[in-house]
Amino acid sequence: MPDVSRRDFLKIVRNGFLYLSSLLAFDGLLHFLDFEANPEPKTEFDLGPADNYPLGSRTLLTEPPAVLLHTDSGFSALSLVCTHLGCTVEQKSDGFTCPCHGSRFGADGKVTHGPAVKPLTTLRIEISKDNRLILHTA
Amino acid sequence: MKKILTIASGFLLFTLALVWWLDSRQVHPVALIPTLTGQPEYCLTCHADLPEISPSHPVKTFGCVICHGGERLALDADLAHSSMRGEANPSDLSVVEASCGGSACHSGSAADERDHIQRVLTSVQSTYAGAIASIRYTFGAQPDLKAYFGIAAITDEQTQTGITSLAAFDPTSANNPSIQKFGENCLTCHLHTRPREGLAYERQTGCAACHATAEHTFSTAIPYTQCNACHNRGNYDLQTMTFVERSDQSIKRIDNYYQPIAQFTQCEYTLDCVDCHTRIEVMGDGDIHANQKSIEYVQCKTCHGTPTELPLTKTLTDPNDIAFRLALLNPVVDLKLGETILVTEKGEPLWNTRVLPGGSYELIGKATQQYFIFRPVMGSGCTQNGQDQSSAYCHECHAVER
Repeated sequence: MPDVSRRDFLKIVRNGFLYLSSLLAFDGLLHFLDFEANPEPKTEFDLGPADNYPLGSRTLLTEPPAVLLHTDSGFSALSLVCTHLGCTVEQKSDGFTCPCHGSRFGADGKVTHGPAVKPLTTLRIEISKDNRLILHTA
Repeated sequence: MKKILTIASGFLLFTLALVWWLDSRQVHPVALIPTLTGQPEYCLTCHADLPEISPSHPVKTFGCVICHGGERLALDADLAHSSMRGEANPSDLSVVEASCGGSACHSGSAADERDHIQRVLTSVQSTYAGAIASIRYTFGAQPDLKAYFGIAAITDEQTQTGITSLAAFDPTSANNPSIQKFGENCLTCHLHTRPREGLAYERQTGCAACHATAEHTFSTAIPYTQCNACHNRGNYDLQTMTFVERSDQSIKRIDNYYQPIAQFTQCEYTLDCVDCHTRIEVMGDGDIHANQKSIEYVQCKTCHGTPTELPLTKTLTDPNDIAFRLALLNPVVDLKLGETILVTEKGEPLWNTRVLPGGSYELIGKATQQYFIFRPVMGSGCTQNGQDQSSAYCHECHAVER
C-alpha cells in the first residue's frame, strides 16, 4: 500500500468533498430549472415513425386521446375529447359515446345525440423530415 | 490554510447534503392539467387519495378548482384553501352558481331540463316557505297561510303558482318568542340555510345534502338513509319550539323509515324514497310553491293505477328522451329505444320501471338495484274508489303490521 502523505490525504478529501458538493448543487440546479410551476398543456405529440401506421389502419391513441386514420388521402386524426365538457369519448360500433354525460358522435365525429353540440375536433398531422408523425392538438 | 479549505469544503458538503435531505422529505408537487380548463393545479399533491366524485365529473377532465375554487398553484395548505368556495361544500346554495353553474352544466335551459340550480333555489326544500308561513300564521304574525317568506329572498317572474317572490325570513325581528325560537332551532335543515356547526353537518346544505352519499362522492343513487339524515332525525316539539332528535337506533328498516308513528305499505319502506318521488317533487319545478303539498304529487296510483285505470305509460321512441339521460347517470337499468316505461301524471319518466309482457310491471331500485315486480290495481279485487288516493285509503288494506 503506497504511503500517502498527510498533505495528499487532505487534498483527496477536499477534492472529494468539492466533487460531491458540485454534484449535489448541480442536481439542485437541474431540479430548479426543470420545474415549471404553471406549465402550458402539451400540444405537440410525436407518434413515432409514419411506417408504424400502414395504409388502411385505424389506431386509437391514448396520449392524446385521438383516433389516427391512414387512408388513400393520407393521415388524419380525430380528437376523442368530448366537445361538451372534455371527457374522453369511448369508441362504439356506430361511432363514439361520452361516458360522462351521454353525448354520442358518429364515426365521422358529427354529433348524433347531445348534450354536445359541436363535432369532435379534427387534429392537424404533419410528417417530419425524418418521416415521423407529429400530432398537433392546438 | 489547506486544512481550513478542507474543513470549509466538508462544511459545504454537509450543508448541501442537509438541504438535499430536507428537500427530499418535502411533499413533491403533483400537477394536473384538467382537459376542461387547461390550467395546472396542484391539489392532488395532498388529495390524491380522494375517490372520483362521480363518473360524470372525472378529475382528469374537471380537476378540482373549477368546482371547489382555491389557489390552484399553492402548495401551502392554508393558502391553497384560502379562496375555496363553500369551504367543504361548494354546492352550498350561497355559492352553487359559481361552483356548479354555467349553461353547459347545471344552470342550463329549462327546455333542456338542465336548470337544476334555478329549480332547487325556488323549491320548498330550499325556501321552507310552507313551514315559515304556518308558524307565522299560528303565532299571529300573518293573517293567512300564504307564503310570504323563504329562508332566502327569491323571485320568479314566470311563476305558474301565483307566487312571484319570497322575502328573506328574519326571525330575529319577530315579536313573538316562539317565532324567534323557531328561527333559532328549526331552520338549520334546509338547503339554503347555513349548516349547523360540526363536521357531520358541513355537507347538509345545497346539492350535497341529497347527492353526497359518501365521502367525496356525488350520486343519483340516493338511499333512504340519505333522506333520513333530515327527514327522520326526530320531531318538532311545538310547545318549546325545539327539535327533538330521535334517540332510538333501530336496525329494522321499517322502524327506521320516515316517521316512527306512521303506517306503511310494503313498498313504502322496501323501496327508497327516490324510487317513487320524482325530480320535480324533490328539486322543484322552477316555480315558487307555497308548501310541500303544492309540489308533491306522486301517489300510489302513479305506479299501480286505479280499479278502473291502468297507470300511465310511455314507449321510448326519442333517443334524446330524458329517461335515457337519467338512466346513464345511474345505470341500474339498460334502457333501450322501444321499451315502455311508466310515467307520472306530469309526464316525468319513471325510468327505472318497465312494462312486462302479461301486464305486470318491473321496478329496479335506484339505490339497491333490487328487482321488484308488481301488478296494476285494475283486475284485482280492490274495490277502492279511484278518486280516493290519499295514502290512508290504501293503508286501510295494505299497511303492514309494525
